[in-house]
Amino acid sequence: MKEISSNKKRMQINKIIIHLLLILGAIITIIPFVWMILTSFKTLGESTIIPPTIFPKQMQWENYKEAMRTLPYGKFYFNTIVYTMLTTIGQIVFCSMAGYAFARINFKGKNFIFVLILSVLMVPGQIFLIPQFMIMKKLGLLNSITALVLPGLFSAYGTFLMRQFYMGIPKELEEAARLDGCNHFTIFWKIMTPLVKPGIAALAITACLYCWNSLMWPLIVNTSIDKMTLSAGLSTLSGQHGTNFPVAMAGTVLAVWPMIVLFAIFQKHFVEGMASTGSKG
Amino acid sequence: MKIKRSLSILLVVMMLVAIVAGCTKKDSDGSADGKTTLTFGLWDKYQEPIMRELADMYEAKNENIKIDIQLTPYGQYWTKLETAATGEVLPDIFWINGPNIVKYAANDMLVPLDELVESNNIDLSVYPEGLIDLYTVDGKLYGIPKDWDLTALWYNKKLFDEKGVEYPNENWTWDDMVEAARKLTDKEKGIYGIAARPDTQEGIYDTIPQAGGYIISEDRKTSGYDTKEALEGTKIWIDLLEEGLSPTLEEQADTNAIELFKGEKVAMVYAASWNVPVFMQNEVIKDHIDLTIMPLIKERAATIHGLSNAIAANSKHKDEAWDFVKFLGSKEANEVWAKSGVVIPAHKEVLDIWEAAHPEINLKAFVDELDYAVMYPVSLNTSKWNDVENEYIKQIWNRGITVEEGLKKISELMNEALTKEQ
Repeated sequence: MKEISSNKKRMQINKIIIHLLLILGAIITIIPFVWMILTSFKTLGESTIIPPTIFPKQMQWENYKEAMRTLPYGKFYFNTIVYTMLTTIGQIVFCSMAGYAFARINFKGKNFIFVLILSVLMVPGQIFLIPQFMIMKKLGLLNSITALVLPGLFSAYGTFLMRQFYMGIPKELEEAARLDGCNHFTIFWKIMTPLVKPGIAALAITACLYCWNSLMWPLIVNTSIDKMTLSAGLSTLSGQHGTNFPVAMAGTVLAVWPMIVLFAIFQKHFVEGMASTGSKG
Repeated sequence: MKIKRSLSILLVVMMLVAIVAGCTKKDSDGSADGKTTLTFGLWDKYQEPIMRELADMYEAKNENIKIDIQLTPYGQYWTKLETAATGEVLPDIFWINGPNIVKYAANDMLVPLDELVESNNIDLSVYPEGLIDLYTVDGKLYGIPKDWDLTALWYNKKLFDEKGVEYPNENWTWDDMVEAARKLTDKEKGIYGIAARPDTQEGIYDTIPQAGGYIISEDRKTSGYDTKEALEGTKIWIDLLEEGLSPTLEEQADTNAIELFKGEKVAMVYAASWNVPVFMQNEVIKDHIDLTIMPLIKERAATIHGLSNAIAANSKHKDEAWDFVKFLGSKEANEVWAKSGVVIPAHKEVLDIWEAAHPEINLKAFVDELDYAVMYPVSLNTSKWNDVENEYIKQIWNRGITVEEGLKKISELMNEALTKEQ
């Protein structure tokens, strides 16, 4: 009896320690967000004061007005949402089809092609910047939403991810479907794809996050402010010598809230997606 | 099933949107409505409104021209410009700075302007000589100066008053400044007399010439870092650090010197003219700061830098672009810059207007320094040896190596980089 209660006690202490650590971790993670919001309400002078003040002396809603005034947020939201949705849908369609092919169909040179695709993952993305730019230029697509979307419609990472999910499905299922007269496409679409939904969710989330945050490509390929995404437009708020931090932070708050809302809604999937891919997007 | 159907509908809709978005893209030449569109690349959000004002002024006079300003933040500007140069789609006109001018000029990316300047009777003597030199590569001019910047000694009058120290003046020598810094440093309050900045244009690019040295030889072939003048010009900063009159490198890494000055933790700082709007917008310090010329070491010198407007060699509208660049170089356009107070306009005749933008501080100090301004050091691949400078300046400031060793290393690696350029 005594042993059990002491065991229970020990477990409780462990739990408390774990929770304390988790709370500490949560606080550390949330500080930049809180700081961003607090700074967005300060005056320029207060934002750089030493030692810093934590709460703004007076709420400066003007910073938000100023951010909205200097940047066309309506266009940014539209562009970013179109860019994010098209890319995400494109990746789901193309990567799951490619992933299925690599996982379940035997064809000549399959491994060779797969290695080629994987090799794309081995080089840093910046290497593609100029070639991609040249391709867009030749297609006459510079400075358009299409140019934003096109290179991201397919990804090596997504193909690899989906292949792993399709490989995990037992062969018997495929054989049974074949006996019932299914061809490859119906097996892919009706039998297998519904089974890899967690994979699709994971892919959708990483693609979404990637688009929302991507900076370099939108900045390079699009020149006019009307064709920019939130992150690219936001970056123009930082000056060469000194930045108006309160306004920049207000602008950032305006840019991140949709992702925060999305996270709140799909929290469960986000966590699952991260856990199953081991990627932080 | 329901989800699948709505997903496919969504997909179709999105694809349609993409097609429409692709199709509504206007002809990039903008000649559809009979107007010529000139694209203009720049990097500063805070200067964009003034540039827009000038563009509007120009468009009002030239009805068939439209000016499209393309803003890219400084952090990505050069990457973007290089990509655009590779793709031969540079903006018709764009800002260029000292470290990049030789590279773009030597690779035939820019239109040489000498003949145009001559045939239009443009008087280049209204611009600071050091700037014309900076934008002249192999005897040809590649940019019309837009603005310039120099460094001055800024000080916080409140901190001077608290310690009863006399404000800096034009006759100060370096020793006077050190003496004042000793009185101003207050360890208890965490206040330092001056910030010894591990910086180039706001630091050793000024003090080395003031000690009689140079950064790069006139033929851009050798480094000046191995001279005893360079040693002196660098060592005087380290002495400040060693005496504890300046925040250490570590402290400055947490909060840089400009921020420390804004936070009233340093009484004096070497800060360039681009800080004028930064300081004057700051309600904490703006009413009790002032500036004067840099104190004398051995001789008077100040490294001048500034931006130019350049025309892309692959522009389809060179004539129109030149006309706009000509307008931007005019007294009229410079007046607009002068009134804004954001940057020092390149045109000498409007400097008094600029000084009047903030009559409460001694902006004349910058104008006075113009008399002995020295050219900003550049070469073909400036960024190569700029990286070397940055790395070893940090090590010297951190006192990981002695000043002698550090400068020797910089001059060796810089000479190596310069040899490769030829």
